[in-house]
Amino acid sequence: MSGQKIELCKTSEVDEGTAIKVEKGDLVLAVFNLNGAFYVMDDICSHGPGSLSEGPIHGDVVECDFHNGSFNIKTGEVVDPPCMIPMKTYQAIIEGDTLFIEA
Amino acid sequence: MRAAVRQGLGFPYECNVGSCGNCKFELLEGEIEHLRKDPPGWSERDLQRKRYLGCQAKPLTDCKIKLNLRDHYKSHFAPAKTVGTLTAIEDITHDIREFRFRLAAPKPFLPGQYGLIAAAGVEGARAYSMCNVTTSGEEWHFQIRRVPNGACTGALFDNLKTGETVGLDGPYGMAYLREDAPRDIVLLGGGSGLSPMVSLARAATASPKLAGQQIHFFYGGRTSRDLFNETLLSTLPGYGARLHYHPAISMPEADPSWTGKVGFVHDYAKELLGEKLRDCEIYFAGPPMMAQAITKMIVEYKTPPAQVHFDQFF
Repeated sequence: MSGQKIELCKTSEVDEGTAIKVEKGDLVLAVFNLNGAFYVMDDICSHGPGSLSEGPIHGDVVECDFHNGSFNIKTGEVVDPPCMIPMKTYQAIIEGDTLFIEA
Repeated sequence: MRAAVRQGLGFPYECNVGSCGNCKFELLEGEIEHLRKDPPGWSERDLQRKRYLGCQAKPLTDCKIKLNLRDHYKSHFAPAKTVGTLTAIEDITHDIREFRFRLAAPKPFLPGQYGLIAAAGVEGARAYSMCNVTTSGEEWHFQIRRVPNGACTGALFDNLKTGETVGLDGPYGMAYLREDAPRDIVLLGGGSGLSPMVSLARAATASPKLAGQQIHFFYGGRTSRDLFNETLLSTLPGYGARLHYHPAISMPEADPSWTGKVGFVHDYAKELLGEKLRDCEIYFAGPPMMAQAITKMIVEYKTPPAQVHFDQFF
């Protein structure tokens, strides 16, 4: 799989300051748009059943609305407990109006 | 939520008793009341966001709700309600007792799963894990720790007599034995977390698929009187060869005659298994502090979360 480029969505599908969920094969991903920059991480919270693409976004941080834990959108690092396991993030690649990741 | 799970839907949940917050959903239309008035897994912020607990929600009108169903939460055996008749009682430690029930409508479960017990005169049901292994589901056995001043354990320990009945509902829970996981097994238990670990140990030692795997059973108490009689495990096949029992106590000052391991089970597991923890299938059950310490251990040793199984009902 390494090095394979996967198309996720058009950049226009994700409004600034929001996120959408994208499912590709076995991957369920949250795609964030922070001030025009795109970030991708696994969608399902590492702690519970929460979907991070549905969580409130505060600056660079997304909150999971199940247990109110939160993660840094850019790095996947835990910001607030009870979450303890960092989220897996993916390098976003933009070509024209299309967003890809390498997986 | 239980109605959804009975219908075969993957409605996320974990504790079933209002504590864990995994069954939250968004109420789009209609009215809802919580069974438990102030459930620990629910906050003011949830109310503002119109999020409610599936396990506690009682619809007062037709409702429209929003949530993500997940296959992971689909039941292997659809839970059902029935009645259990107490057939036997056995003391396991000074405050853990085994209660054996015969079910009016047999229901199999996976090793490590739990059921809800509704005892006469006790409001609401409580979650307890089964300790036996069964394919017919005719009997469910529970090793239950008495909670000081606990309404349900009080009713079970003090009032319930052989031949009498309780309401049972289940099976529930995702911390069941993964027979297809080709890894050594680590079972970590403390306090009320004994019962599911015993079920897992019994099933793992009997499983042909897991015949090549080592099984490490760690169990911790404050003093040696919290520890069970070793015959509970030593009668299982492979004891001492592939099933290893590692007891530890955390309050040696209260137990001067103890010559065994002192400390917490997660520290004992780290000391004994170290980097190997990353390649193990880990199951645990116990008090919140222990669950937190074990979660930290898993992060530290980078055990993939998919290899870690527990249900947090406290």
